[in-house]
Amino acid sequence: MRPLGPRAGTAPTTRPAVLRTGAGVPGARRAGAVLAALALLVTGACGSQRPFTSILDQETLVIGVKPDQPGLGLKVGEGRYEGFDVDIATEVARRIGAPKVEFVTVLSSNRQDFIQSGKVGMVVATYSITPVSRSHVTFAGPYYVAHQDTLVRAEDRMEIDNVRDLKGRRLCQAAGSNSWRRVKEERQIAVELVPAATYGECVAKLRDGAVDAVSTDDLILAGFSARAGSALRIINAPFTDERLGIGLRKGDLDGCEAVNRALTAMYQDGTAEKLLKKWFGASSLALTFTVPQFEGCA
Amino acid sequence: MTPVHQTAAAPGSVSAPGAAPVPSATPPVPGADHGAPPAVPPSAAPRGAGPSRLRSVPGRVLVITGAAALALVLLFGALSSSFRTVRNGLDVIGHDAGPQVVATADLYFALSDMDTQVADVLLIGDEHGLGKGRKRALEVYERRRSDAGRAVLQASALAGGDPAERRTVQAVLDGLGRYERLAARAMLLDEQAGHAAGPPPRPVLELYRQATDLMRLELLPMAYNLTLESGTVVRRAHEEQSSALRTGQVLVAGTGILAVGGLAWLQVFLARRFRRVFNPALLVATAIAGTYTLTGFTVLGNEADVLHTAKRDGFDSVLALARARAVGNSMHGDQSRYLLDPERADTYEQTYLDKSQSVLYTPSGNLAAYYKAVDAGVDAYPAKNAFLGLVGQEADLARLPGSEAAIIEVLRRYQEFQQGDYLMRKAGPREAVEELVGRLETRFGAYDAALVKLAGLHKTAFDRAVRSGEEQVEELWFLLPVAMISTAVLIVAGVWPRLSEYR
Repeated sequence: MRPLGPRAGTAPTTRPAVLRTGAGVPGARRAGAVLAALALLVTGACGSQRPFTSILDQETLVIGVKPDQPGLGLKVGEGRYEGFDVDIATEVARRIGAPKVEFVTVLSSNRQDFIQSGKVGMVVATYSITPVSRSHVTFAGPYYVAHQDTLVRAEDRMEIDNVRDLKGRRLCQAAGSNSWRRVKEERQIAVELVPAATYGECVAKLRDGAVDAVSTDDLILAGFSARAGSALRIINAPFTDERLGIGLRKGDLDGCEAVNRALTAMYQDGTAEKLLKKWFGASSLALTFTVPQFEGCA
Repeated sequence: MTPVHQTAAAPGSVSAPGAAPVPSATPPVPGADHGAPPAVPPSAAPRGAGPSRLRSVPGRVLVITGAAALALVLLFGALSSSFRTVRNGLDVIGHDAGPQVVATADLYFALSDMDTQVADVLLIGDEHGLGKGRKRALEVYERRRSDAGRAVLQASALAGGDPAERRTVQAVLDGLGRYERLAARAMLLDEQAGHAAGPPPRPVLELYRQATDLMRLELLPMAYNLTLESGTVVRRAHEEQSSALRTGQVLVAGTGILAVGGLAWLQVFLARRFRRVFNPALLVATAIAGTYTLTGFTVLGNEADVLHTAKRDGFDSVLALARARAVGNSMHGDQSRYLLDPERADTYEQTYLDKSQSVLYTPSGNLAAYYKAVDAGVDAYPAKNAFLGLVGQEADLARLPGSEAAIIEVLRRYQEFQQGDYLMRKAGPREAVEELVGRLETRFGAYDAALVKLAGLHKTAFDRAVRSGEEQVEELWFLLPVAMISTAVLIVAGVWPRLSEYR
């Protein structure tokens, strides 16, 4: 809507000037004044159209990633992170021409605030695109479509075959994540929710026996189960499609479109396949190596 | 570029013949030719003898003429470059990306419906007469197959030089061949198995899974992303054009003021020096320059509005509805797949809800809540729009004549379709299949047709806006060389006789 502003401003200021000078006394000084006014108008007309800087124009692109999800985003030192999300973010940043990149920690509970306040330019943190999150955040991608699955203790594996067997059991609810809704609200399975701050805490609770199951994206679970060895098992009964998007500030359409083009290129030239295999090749997950259906920048 | 060069040449020819006589003609003026020019002011003689020839009357006439001519060159340059910008913009939006959206959306629709028809054939199994019947499903499958082939060709032609888009179209074409082979094997095996209506035997299901995964995970996303890419192209073109038009308007106004001012200055100078009230030729030249400035300024403003309208009321809605139709078809397919593959039924139910929400969003955690919210929201419309999503946002923008009625129709048919979904999910296994390929199919068809009709309204508005934009520019563009040549001739005609008084 903003482009209307400068245009509406141009018309009334310039039109009377045409009439006045056309009928009146010309002069070199006046011509100079007109030129000066023109210069002002032109600069005004070409000024920026949104109240913030697109990620394409930021000196340093600050990227939010998870600190505690092995395989996706894991903090390994001051300002240093590793995982699939981190590699995707690095590659995207390179392809959209970001001059300098800095990684910071975001959690499911604060990533939306961080984007809205401009603390981070871009969030690559297993961020599911949902109608609700989409109304606050502009999503590029999804860069991958994961599937919700369930992680249980190895000794419970025989009793829990699929998500419906969670009835009456304790399910971990990580703050800011909506995965539990898929079980309790959409599937309407009567589970008892046990809150936790992060999925790392959820997995710790699962080991301690404080919860019976952790249900979320299979990529997240694959990382944890690889670390836990034989103590924890994925039940391998995916029951949703989770579109993992790259969160940008609401309205950064230029940035969003550029990220989508970068993602398309990454899938076309095999970079995405290489990264997926690097981080999840050892797991039993069925991986998809073709570009996901984008959300559309809005 | 040619018109610009022409302008550059025309005023050149004005000043060149003038410039040549100046050095030879001016110095003799004060001494030799007394009395010949009737109105030479006394001050001209001593000044002409001074160091600067520009101070002499003909010198000053030439300087002013040159300045006016230069301003005119700039004015016509600004006009012609702005008009070219507009024409390029309309070309991209109207004849390149616009049709590309339609072609790629057709491609998505054909591909998605192929997969739905295969699922229906497998669900119907041996009971060939159930609902629309196996034969009909096969016929539709064949038709969609040829639609898809045609749409791929068209999308490929419109993709033009963009390498990423061309690769995508090529990948769709390759994948389509693989899909057809898998689907044919699944249907053949299904026929041989001979099962009652409902989920087919395991080997058939496994083949179909390969086929549908190829379709849903690889081909459909590519087709959908092509549609989105056209949206990107249009949005960028529109932003560039709008700012170019604003700059163009300012430049036209500025150069126009200078040109008209220069001509008026010349007029006043000649009137004072030569004691003539009017110089008719110059007066007409001034009028032409003034008219072109005003008209150019106004037309550029109009064009900005035309581009804006074409994008907002036309293109954006056409794109949103094309996406709604694509998502809707794959949501309908998820109903067939939900019945066909019990192991994945949970996933297909969730993707069905997700897709429903992206078509018409209303807060609801599960399908039962969604049906209720849709009922309530549709009943409240148009007094209140409770919806977001692709169709929901369109419901807020009912600006065109007839579009509100068309939206109400879309919403009603959608509501009926969702009610049909409820009936199908609660029916027993066999009845569910009957419901799916019978009543639900009809309801989906009615909803889809209403959506197509609404999109048609916007497509017409879009085409009309693009055409009117083109016509407006075309008229001025056509007259621009005439205006340039005539002002050049008129200036020469107005100044030359005065200068020759000094020969």
